[in-house]
Amino acid sequence: MQPEPTLEELRGLVADFQPGRGHVMPALHRVQDRYGYISRAAIEVVARQLNTTPALVYGTVSFYDDFRTHPRPETEIAWCSGPACRLRGGDRIREAIQQTLELPLGGESEDHRYGLHVGQCNGTCSEAPQVWVNGEVVGNLSVSAAIRLAREVKGE
Amino acid sequence: MTNAKLQAIIDSAKRDWAAYQSDGRQHVRICIDTSSLARGGQATLDALRAAVAARGLNVDVGTGGSWGFSWMEPTLTVRSAAGTRTVLYANLTAERVDEFVDRVLAAGGDMPELALGVVEGTSTPEVPLLSDHPFMKGQVRRLMANIGVIDPENIDHYIALGGYEGFGKALEMDAEAIVKEVVDSGLGGRAGGGFPAGRKWDFLRSATAEPRYLVCNADEGDPGAWVNRVLMEGDPQLIVEGMLIAALAARAREGYIYIRYEYPLAFARMQTAVDQAYAKGLLGTNILGSGLDFDLVVFRGAGSYVCGEETGLINSIDGYRGMPRIKPPFPAQAGLWNKPTNVNNVESYANAPLILRNGAEWWSTVSTAKEKGTKMFTFSGSVNWQGCVEIVYGPTVREALEQYAGGMKDGKRCKGFQPGGPLSGVVNGDELDLTLTLDPYRERGLFLGGGGIVFFDESACIVDLCTYFLGFCEAESCGRCTTCHGGTQRAVEILRRISLGGGREADLENFQELVKTLVWSNCFHGQFAMTTIKTALKAFAGEWTEHIVEKRCRAGVCPGLIEYRVRSQTDAALAEARAICPTAAFVEEGGQWRVDDALCVRCGACREVAPNAIEVRDRLAAPIAAGAAAGA
Ligand SMILES: Cc1cc2nc3c(=O)[nH]c(=O)nc-3n(C[C@H](O)[C@H](O)[C@H](O)COP(=O)(O)O)c2cc1C
Ligand code: FES
Repeated sequence: MQPEPTLEELRGLVADFQPGRGHVMPALHRVQDRYGYISRAAIEVVARQLNTTPALVYGTVSFYDDFRTHPRPETEIAWCSGPACRLRGGDRIREAIQQTLELPLGGESEDHRYGLHVGQCNGTCSEAPQVWVNGEVVGNLSVSAAIRLAREVKGE
Repeated sequence: MTNAKLQAIIDSAKRDWAAYQSDGRQHVRICIDTSSLARGGQATLDALRAAVAARGLNVDVGTGGSWGFSWMEPTLTVRSAAGTRTVLYANLTAERVDEFVDRVLAAGGDMPELALGVVEGTSTPEVPLLSDHPFMKGQVRRLMANIGVIDPENIDHYIALGGYEGFGKALEMDAEAIVKEVVDSGLGGRAGGGFPAGRKWDFLRSATAEPRYLVCNADEGDPGAWVNRVLMEGDPQLIVEGMLIAALAARAREGYIYIRYEYPLAFARMQTAVDQAYAKGLLGTNILGSGLDFDLVVFRGAGSYVCGEETGLINSIDGYRGMPRIKPPFPAQAGLWNKPTNVNNVESYANAPLILRNGAEWWSTVSTAKEKGTKMFTFSGSVNWQGCVEIVYGPTVREALEQYAGGMKDGKRCKGFQPGGPLSGVVNGDELDLTLTLDPYRERGLFLGGGGIVFFDESACIVDLCTYFLGFCEAESCGRCTTCHGGTQRAVEILRRISLGGGREADLENFQELVKTLVWSNCFHGQFAMTTIKTALKAFAGEWTEHIVEKRCRAGVCPGLIEYRVRSQTDAALAEARAICPTAAFVEEGGQWRVDDALCVRCGACREVAPNAIEVRDRLAAPIAAGAAAGA
């Protein structure tokens, strides 16, 4: 995991962005690409750099499913919520993973070791039903395979 | 009378291409797109390069986009050293690369068991022509003509095969003439609305405020649609050139390509394409000395469906929450930074180079339907082939299903389909004779959307599907309208109650009430969120009554209407079933195992591992055919 960035670093990272030019999202992406998440300090730095308010920047961050305000857990299972996956048992896979990890969708374990994220269909529907484990596709899942995967992630 | 600088660029690209084509080497081009990567494409590519190097073969190994056989990636073409024969292969896993390289590249033979067909050159009894492959027959590849053939990260490949000729023509025309050509072609918006693109460009052209902006909508949020992705990952310059032509027509100064977060490769390829266009002087100020200034920004979304709505998208670029605005004013009047803005879909822009290069007449006459030109579609769900095609508007859904989706999986009956995204509604499988054109859907209160069609079979429950799509609409509501965020939430609550066995006859009226209420939402998201339920109530009326009155789910999906039971105490797999259960729902009583109904979450894992020990029953205690609830 990346250490908490310093203000100095954050300011340098977004120094070339300008107000009024559609730079809020690109600045947030750059922060998240670099640190994995967007901290409170980063929101303030971006707001100052772009001559807007932390409230507005936070409003933007919180609107989008893929901006994070906390570091990613060590292992993240992103579950495909799409239709092809659902037609092949995707929702039962979600239920089984949630029960196994004892997490709601979007939740993570207290020790930050693992989490469950909602993924969107990216048109790899031939692999349905699937999840992504830290970005890697695990496709053609059965419910029992998903449970075994979740148990492994959990360390059971 | 082409622009001399452009002509020089084109000539040089053509020379390079000709030299490359006659370099006396075998050319391998492997598809590296998101589908291929999901199926091990990178490992195959690495193995291929290593195997070629290890054998000291003088073979060019390049990458490309997808031929559309997404379910059989990684695909690759092999072009003979003499350049006389090209064969398309599929499903090349890393494990088979050594054998492939020995047989095909080193020995110069075919590998019929992996061959899809001969792209160019002579066929054999084992390797027929690709154009005779059922998936390819009847396809008209214009937008996709280059995809799989060129390196999408090399602008010279694009230019050598006719790229930027359309832009060259447009440079010699005035804005009105370009608009007229596009209007004459009949190009309608490819996101599904079908609004004439040329007329939209004309709104912008005749707007008085400066500057004007172009936006390319690459948000492709409809789950089950990946046509825009295939274009961006396979031939990104087509979109750059299309936007340049639109910039000339609409007299725009700056453009944005808004790409959804879920498409990192499309984002990277579009960025590379834009960078290369800048390097060639095809973007920037005073382009090719013509006086045209046009800057293009590739913009990354962050996970939001309503950002595909054009004004939500504009707010997102502006840096705000991606909430659709209240219209009017329309983007053509006040869009980005409240300046005139034109928003079109990826595929809409991508057609412009073809129209300009070959003329409106050539472009439109391919189709005898009201909808002109070709359209890309992706098919998914319970079908055999989950791929991407380009066809002329007009075949029936049945023809498309049989021919391009390879029919329903396991030969099951098609129970129904969704014509284009979560706002588009559902159609009963009795209506497979509907054509793939816009009107039949409009007339039925449905919507043929951006090209993603999802088929389902009898293992799907209509209440479950509605729960899914309404849940999607609820989660993606921007929150502005109470009708939308409150209404979708209410609809999901009712659907859940029905699926838990608490359906009431009044629910059907409740749904109608919600249908009437949600149309008062500000944007299409809320206005059409109830389409799935509205159309499903009609198309699958009997199934609703079953759920609500008989408390029966014929597909064996709804959790409150089914129960899992131990059928055999002696089956050897029962222990496995107990072990896999994520909620420890198996309890022993007097030496007999049973499933505790309160603990069981109906995930079905137990029946998967012990199909003979576990059964699913409904409230009437009639066993449901094995396999139905498994959904696979
Ligand atoms: C909720 C919602 C989501 C949409 N998503 C997309 C999308 O992902 N891609 C797209 O091109 N259009 C989408 N649209 C339609 C756009 O608002 C707009 O009509 C379209 O980009 C116009 O392009 P066209 O005229 O070239 O078809 C969406 C509309 C709504 C209401
Ligand atoms: S539905 Fe899961 S990848 Fe398309």
